[in-house]
Amino acid sequence: MDDLQLDQSEIEAININGDTKNITDEEDTENEMAPPIGNSIHRSSSRPQLDLSGAAIQGNFEERDPTILLPNQSDDISHLALDIGGSLIKLVYFSRHEDRVANEKRKLSTKERFGATSSNRRSFPILGGRLHFVKFETSKINECLEFIHSKQLHRGAIDNAVIKATGGGAYKFADLFKEKLGVVIEKEDEMDCLVAGANFLLKAIRHEAFTHKEGHKEFVQIDHNDLYPYLLVNIGSGVSLIKVDGDGKFQRVSGTNVGGGTYWGLGRLLTKCKSFDELLELSQRGDNSSVDMLVGDIYGGLDYSKIGLSASTIASSFGKAISENKEIEDYRPEDISLSLLRMISYNIGQISYLTALQLGIKRIFFGGFFIRGHAYTMDTISFAIQFWSKGGAEAMFLRHEGFLGALGAFMSYEKHGLDDLRVHQLVERFPMGAPYTGGKIHGPPLGDLNEKISWMEKFVRKGTKIFAPVPMASPRTTGLGGFEAPSSKGDALRSDESNLNVGVLHLVPSLEVFPLLADPRTYEPNTVDLADPNELEYWFTVLSEHLPDLVDKAVASEGGTDDARRRGNAFARAFSAHLARLMEEPAAYGKLGLANLLELREECLREFNFFDAYSAIKQRENEASLAVLPDLLMELDSMSEETRLLTLIEGVLAANIFDWGSRACVDLYHKGTIIEIYRMSRKKMQRPWRVDNFDAFKERMGFGDKKPYFRHKRALLFVDNSGADVVLGMLPLARELLRRGTEVVLVANSLPALNDVTAMELPEIVAEAAKHCDILRRAAEAGGLLMDAMVNTQDNPSEKLSSTPLMVVENGCGSPCIDLRQVSSELAAVAKDADLVILEGMGRALHTNYNARFKCDALKLAMVKNQRLAEKLIEGNIYDCVCRYEPAC
Amino acid sequence: MENNSSKDHRLSGRLYFLKFETSKINECLDFISSKQLHCRGAQHYGFPDSDRNTIKATGGGAFKFADLFKEKLGISLDKVEEMGSLVSGANFLLKSVPSEAFTYMNGQRNYEQIDHDDLYPYLLVNIGSGVSMIKVDGDGRYERVSGTSVGGGTFWGLGKLLTKCKSFDDLLEMSHQGNNRMIDMLVGDIYGGMDYLKIGLSSTAIASSFGKAVSENKELEEYKPEDVARSLLRMISNNIGQIAYLNALRFGLKKIFFGGFFICGHAYTMDTISVAVDFWSKGEAKAMFLRHEGFLGALGAFMNYQLVEEFPYPSHLPGDDHKKPDKNLNDNGIIECHVRVSN
Repeated sequence: MDDLQLDQSEIEAININGDTKNITDEEDTENEMAPPIGNSIHRSSSRPQLDLSGAAIQGNFEERDPTILLPNQSDDISHLALDIGGSLIKLVYFSRHEDRVANEKRKLSTKERFGATSSNRRSFPILGGRLHFVKFETSKINECLEFIHSKQLHRGAIDNAVIKATGGGAYKFADLFKEKLGVVIEKEDEMDCLVAGANFLLKAIRHEAFTHKEGHKEFVQIDHNDLYPYLLVNIGSGVSLIKVDGDGKFQRVSGTNVGGGTYWGLGRLLTKCKSFDELLELSQRGDNSSVDMLVGDIYGGLDYSKIGLSASTIASSFGKAISENKEIEDYRPEDISLSLLRMISYNIGQISYLTALQLGIKRIFFGGFFIRGHAYTMDTISFAIQFWSKGGAEAMFLRHEGFLGALGAFMSYEKHGLDDLRVHQLVERFPMGAPYTGGKIHGPPLGDLNEKISWMEKFVRKGTKIFAPVPMASPRTTGLGGFEAPSSKGDALRSDESNLNVGVLHLVPSLEVFPLLADPRTYEPNTVDLADPNELEYWFTVLSEHLPDLVDKAVASEGGTDDARRRGNAFARAFSAHLARLMEEPAAYGKLGLANLLELREECLREFNFFDAYSAIKQRENEASLAVLPDLLMELDSMSEETRLLTLIEGVLAANIFDWGSRACVDLYHKGTIIEIYRMSRKKMQRPWRVDNFDAFKERMGFGDKKPYFRHKRALLFVDNSGADVVLGMLPLARELLRRGTEVVLVANSLPALNDVTAMELPEIVAEAAKHCDILRRAAEAGGLLMDAMVNTQDNPSEKLSSTPLMVVENGCGSPCIDLRQVSSELAAVAKDADLVILEGMGRALHTNYNARFKCDALKLAMVKNQRLAEKLIEGNIYDCVCRYEPAC
Repeated sequence: MENNSSKDHRLSGRLYFLKFETSKINECLDFISSKQLHCRGAQHYGFPDSDRNTIKATGGGAFKFADLFKEKLGISLDKVEEMGSLVSGANFLLKSVPSEAFTYMNGQRNYEQIDHDDLYPYLLVNIGSGVSMIKVDGDGRYERVSGTSVGGGTFWGLGKLLTKCKSFDDLLEMSHQGNNRMIDMLVGDIYGGMDYLKIGLSSTAIASSFGKAVSENKELEEYKPEDVARSLLRMISNNIGQIAYLNALRFGLKKIFFGGFFICGHAYTMDTISVAVDFWSKGEAKAMFLRHEGFLGALGAFMNYQLVEEFPYPSHLPGDDHKKPDKNLNDNGIIECHVRVSN
């Protein structure tokens, strides 16, 4: 079976970036199939030059941190590092991504549709590059060499082909690499690499460290300022205990020779297992009490509580193998494996704890191939730590544990850029392929999307259910067919194979923390915590039920061709597989919130080349809404200012009913025209709303008893859906703010998600609206949104100050929700002068950010279009409204 | 020999130390019966009636075989708490028997003079099937501070599975002739024969016990049982030594005594334990052993008889010259002593 690593780099590359000033023309035509690094080599060999994608970012905002540019620096960027261990070869490789519009045709058609409207808009490349994590079995080193060759990863270094590597095999296979790839392996110290890798992960990845007790995984937020010292226990063949005091500051303080090699070596001799994974799998069905002598065996079933030992405590590992007249064949290999596993895990836990105690270290992280994300192993080690410390210490594990060495080797390149990255600049994605194989390769890498689709289709041809490709326990494959026969979970012993949980790390230098968050450290985007199994099941059901409709939309958006249908089906399979995987192990991809799920769906669509499933719908609704906008504006203008404010808020809430993400609303669509629904909806907007701080907001706006009139300097309006929502709801509100002299920034998605309006689409909509409204026209001109306003406002801001500007910025994401810890630098920049934030719609105001507090005034507006959410969040009903106003913190 | 006190009686005599395999408990019962050891109450002057049909016993089997003793010998077993027995046995030996403690390096026993006033605290590591680590602060003052399930039972159990050996002693004997390099992955195997000096490991240090059994396509039958036994012994001794040292360090204990059946006075286990403690402590600590190591529990149980108030004075024992232990001081040797009996 060809389960393979996919090159996400090619497949999911997309950016709606309409601005090409930062991209040279020759790069634009990059073939989707081309190796990601080919360009850089070509370019650099001709003439050295800076990567302009980075330069573009910096050009506009002087407050940008220039070090961020490193990942975009093309010339001597390192691309590949290896950790060649005794059993596994781990690769970490980097692929550069300006992430220009991957689909050139689409971009052109978009341009045709909108004209060249966006040419002047500030815009940035979204992604700087990606870190991929891949594993091979050392015994199949040729597959590894082929993989490197096919991806041309060894060409990263231009003149002197040197590849950094660590692990014992770095010596052993040096000649082979020289011969086959013509590259020189440069050996890096193993422990240096481990520590560098761990330090990076603990500082840069939000959900990296977790505890694992009784099958339950919980992510631990590590305070970066309080990380050191920690004890890193690396369990390879043997075990090293390393005290880490800082970057490059560490000491191997202890170790033990009883480690993974002991488990596997003894296990192989005793059970005749053919692989480590097979041995581990056996343990899941074992009962160690048939081999181990328990305290209860000695004391006749009584607890020897005087010394704090329960009857089931192991008194002597393999102690029962003594007294009985049984041969090795008389014991179940399962029992032997479990007994061994417990013996070794406990022992490592005990020695680690004692060592930490001696050194006065609080945090102990465990890594190395012995762990392998195996739930029971982690539980056992955790138990040992808890037992010996009497609850005073906790074992922690790392999601990328297998890749510490390779990552560290990668960082040993002079220029790797990773040091400068911060948590908010990294986005982890889980493209198809990665979740199955964890980057573990059993064949040639997938060359293109077509192969990926074929790969998806294979599962179905095998007669498995749609979720079958998701291994119930783990693809403990050594080669083939980990998926055909999902193994039994064996009671509570579940292997969750952390190598399934390693995605592709997107390095996005342009992402920043939203500066108006009151307390970024405690900020949690998700309102709905999917740790609650009921919530989880509910939302999984919602998403599953919505899937066929989404596939139809997506296929239709591509003209319903056979190719689109095929991709649509593959998408459905892939997304269902993700869902099933997450149902099984909710923490598989890190801490799971509803926002993550919704984003996963969008990413999955993009992975199968559906860039904008709702494009036709969005366009139709925009047109229909724009057609009735003049009437609405006239109606509004006839009102008093005070009445108008209420009507405008009602209008936003009413227009928010148009939402293709809501099942209930989709049903509504079939019952009337947009304007009918809008008017009907607004009529029903009788106050008080379920959450109603309108009076406070009105007062703040200067309409209360207490004047004076207050004018916000700049308002950020986070818009939601296309069509009526933005045109009839948010635009009139924006217009009102402009009229009051408040600058307005419309904040919209960078990438399409459902029918949400994108930053690329907004200028066209505004331009259309401006045709009938002077306020909007002048503001749009001032904000540089109109194509006839050719003056670059950023360079010459003074020239346009005559009118209050209306601007559009992208938010940096492609999800119906927004995580304000990771927004575009563009948004972060405009936020600095903003004193009002208006979040609109369920995704951004309820599913996420409902509880977020801001440094400035904040208004959250949404209609709740989901009965369950209404009950949970506001103790109300579907179609209830939320108008939550919170003054600056 | 009468004591000053009219109520006290000193009896001179000898303490004998004997072992049977638990599986051959009948031999043990026969022995007791033939020596009429269970009838001592009738033989000896001054033993209280209440003790007449009772024998002090410790160990897990004291529960298990209670009925058997009752049936065969007509006596009850009075279960004495195990750890307390160990400790009082050890305390007695360390205080009262000269040349009891010794270090073992390179096949050489070096008897250690224990200063009775500076005996406590010490760490007593009892290696039975499992391992108990007991911090001893004085007579009757002790705490089990740690332990590990990887002990003598593990050696014998795993060894039996791996080598088909018939007895613990055979297994130990085999280990004597083996070479662990055939199975263990050494530091040198990983780093191409070079010492990994940066972390202070020599190329012959074991990086991974049984680590070579992974990479080679050899079945169990293709390994010499001797090598397997050797590797196993080193793994377990090393591990016990390490955990013991870490615990001693944790409580600031200078002396670590190892006892229990795993040691068995067997040169080989003593040697590997000593090497382990030396390795982990970087020469700072020494493993010490007790000549009567297998009998700590039994001795402690013996001392539990109410009538035994105090054990004899060292001066009354043979072997005062510790540099030249005489024949009587073989392991498990007879201790000639006096028992003060209060009645």
